[in-house]
Amino acid sequence: MTQTARPISADTDNSSGPLAVGPDFGRPWLAEFRQAAAKTFARVGYPSATDEDWRYTPLAPLTQNHFRTIPAAGAVSRDAIAHLSLASRGFYELVFVDGYFSAALSQTTGLSGLIEFHNFQGAAGGESDRIAKYLGHELPSGINGFAALNAASFSDGVFLYIPAGVTVDKPIHILWATTRHNHPVMVYPRGLIYACSQSRAVIVQTYADLDSDHPVFTNVATEVIAGRGSHLELIKIQRQALLGLHMANEAVHVHGSATFQSLAMNLGAVLTRNNLSVHLAEPFAQATLNGLTISAGSQRVDNHTLLDHARENCPSHELYKSLLAGNAAGVFRGKILVRPDAQKTDSKQTSKAMLLSDSAVMNSQPQLEIYANDVKCTHGSTTGPLDDEQLFYLQSRGVSAQQAQALLTYAFAGDVLDRIIDPAAREFISVLVAEALSRLHIAPVEL
Amino acid sequence: MAILDVKNLHARVQNREILKGIDLTINPGEVHAIMGPNGSGKSTLASVLAGRENYEVTAGTAEFNGKDLLDLSPDERACEGLFLAFQYPVEIPGVSTSYFLKAAVNAIRKYRGEPELDAMDFLKLIKEKMKLLEMDQSFMNRSINEGFSGGEKKRNEIFQMTVLDPSLCILDETDSGLDIDALKVVSQGVNALRNKSRGILIVTHYQRLLEYIVPDFVHVLRDGKIIKSGDKSLALELEAKGYGWLETVAA
Ligand SMILES: Nc1ncnc2c1ncn2[C@@H]1O[C@H](COP(=O)(O)OP(=O)(O)OP(=O)(O)O)[C@@H](O)[C@H]1O
Ligand SMILES: [Mg+2]
Repeated sequence: MTQTARPISADTDNSSGPLAVGPDFGRPWLAEFRQAAAKTFARVGYPSATDEDWRYTPLAPLTQNHFRTIPAAGAVSRDAIAHLSLASRGFYELVFVDGYFSAALSQTTGLSGLIEFHNFQGAAGGESDRIAKYLGHELPSGINGFAALNAASFSDGVFLYIPAGVTVDKPIHILWATTRHNHPVMVYPRGLIYACSQSRAVIVQTYADLDSDHPVFTNVATEVIAGRGSHLELIKIQRQALLGLHMANEAVHVHGSATFQSLAMNLGAVLTRNNLSVHLAEPFAQATLNGLTISAGSQRVDNHTLLDHARENCPSHELYKSLLAGNAAGVFRGKILVRPDAQKTDSKQTSKAMLLSDSAVMNSQPQLEIYANDVKCTHGSTTGPLDDEQLFYLQSRGVSAQQAQALLTYAFAGDVLDRIIDPAAREFISVLVAEALSRLHIAPVEL
Repeated sequence: MAILDVKNLHARVQNREILKGIDLTINPGEVHAIMGPNGSGKSTLASVLAGRENYEVTAGTAEFNGKDLLDLSPDERACEGLFLAFQYPVEIPGVSTSYFLKAAVNAIRKYRGEPELDAMDFLKLIKEKMKLLEMDQSFMNRSINEGFSGGEKKRNEIFQMTVLDPSLCILDETDSGLDIDALKVVSQGVNALRNKSRGILIVTHYQRLLEYIVPDFVHVLRDGKIIKSGDKSLALELEAKGYGWLETVAA
């Protein structure tokens, strides 16, 4: 493929700017899709600070024009990504380098007998048609400028199709890694996951940068369809370099009696903005959304979720926790929308932040919009430092102040880890949490 | 040498003087009881001795086995052998009792220059003490005090006390919230700790506990001062007459 993406014009004026679109891989539908997205971007532009949904997220760093798109994957060895790989833990692994699929680095033995998986570029006729059918449905480009940019510009993407009744025996890891470029770059990871009825799968997506000296702007778009009666656990690990910027638009459609669970782990990047919207489209669809943020320095993480209860008898659970040190700042904005047909909705939302310094700040905002009368919706949020009473209790039994702090911090994070369904995923994420906490000088604890 | 030697101890919380000159000496082998009306400063005294933050000692001294107690952090005090069984034990979700107690046992052993206990030895130790306090093993796997009933929390305090083997046990209203049978079991646990070298300080409102754990001395704390001391008969007298009659005695 010779066609490569060109950078967005230097003109970053909110309303316009000719936008170069990404490759169409010789498929007319994709060329059309790109053009439409570019037009959409020209129309909606970047969000603005006056937009209620965006007023807490600093937009300036995300709308700078010095990021360049990456014309081809940088060279990277297996060793260079070994620390990011989960293949040794038995996961299937699909690796994208600088936004481009790398078959050589991927580990898919046994997977093709179970499910269909393709990168967009490599997808042949029928597969490509299927991508064409679903792409952009759950996540229309019009929802915001970043989603439109992703649609117009992604260099490649991943498509997973899990046939009806199939249980994927091991978790699937999709690793999105960027290499060293010696200047600011941007990538547009794009994922489309279709889990047919009664299927089961665990999918982990990792976002990481190998270059810690130049900012990488990762602009993610993920679309998920969970078919009737399916069980899907979707885990996102954002462990970009500290200069990194992370923007994610993720949309999930949950069919009847399906169980969807997500985890958003926010560890890296100086600025993270997650938009996760989950549409409970049919009766007895279930969603559990969890989040764990560990931030320090001047990191900032904004988690925005939408639980859209369209039909009756759908339970939803949300637990977002943040451990904030230094000058870290966190936002949690959780909207629960209960539509008129969504009687017997049972929704519980909790946001908890532990502030490990005086200058860390958290802003939690529940938003309930309820149009049905027979529903149960609860929300609660707590923000504060470690509990003095608890610290004193532990110390009064001989445990040092430092160890007492570590115990309470691990217990705080452990609450989220315990909820991870897949044991292998839980195990490696526990390791990531321990690493993140050791960077905050919190001694290891195995509770 | 006394285990605890408190002289003229004054302390305040949020600019309010609560302890107004406490003198108290506990020698090895002695059991002391402190009684007194609500709000007189009993828990404050216990907290100050255990080293709780926000309690400012404004005058006086406290020696613990010859060391300046007030100079030590709460965990150092515990490692030196002081144990406070709380009036209101806090719940700590997410930290299992067994993990925490093992950390505590080994922190204290390390402080004393003793080798840390391995998992096997620790298990043996706690099994023995759980039997003594008639506690179910399942408590060990639960988060500290989380969802425990009032009585279970108190029992858990005394259980931890027997495991940590302190030289001074301070019990702040351990009897409140215990049913009649539990009171017996917990008292047995405390009496099992009673020996020639240990000191025990019991804060209570009721004579009943002192029937099981018979004190050598009884003190009345009122408005931040010990206004009367006596032997176990003083507790009976208080039970019969209340605190009113002491007004004149103190004056
Ligand atoms: N942290 C605090 N902040 C403000 N006031 C306090 C604090 N701790 C204790 N006090 C006050 O000090 C006084 C003594 O309290 P303390 O708990 O020591 O009483 P007590 O003798 O243990 O009472 P009780 O028998 O009810 O347990 C009370 O008036 C109480 O309100
Ligand atoms: Mg008290």
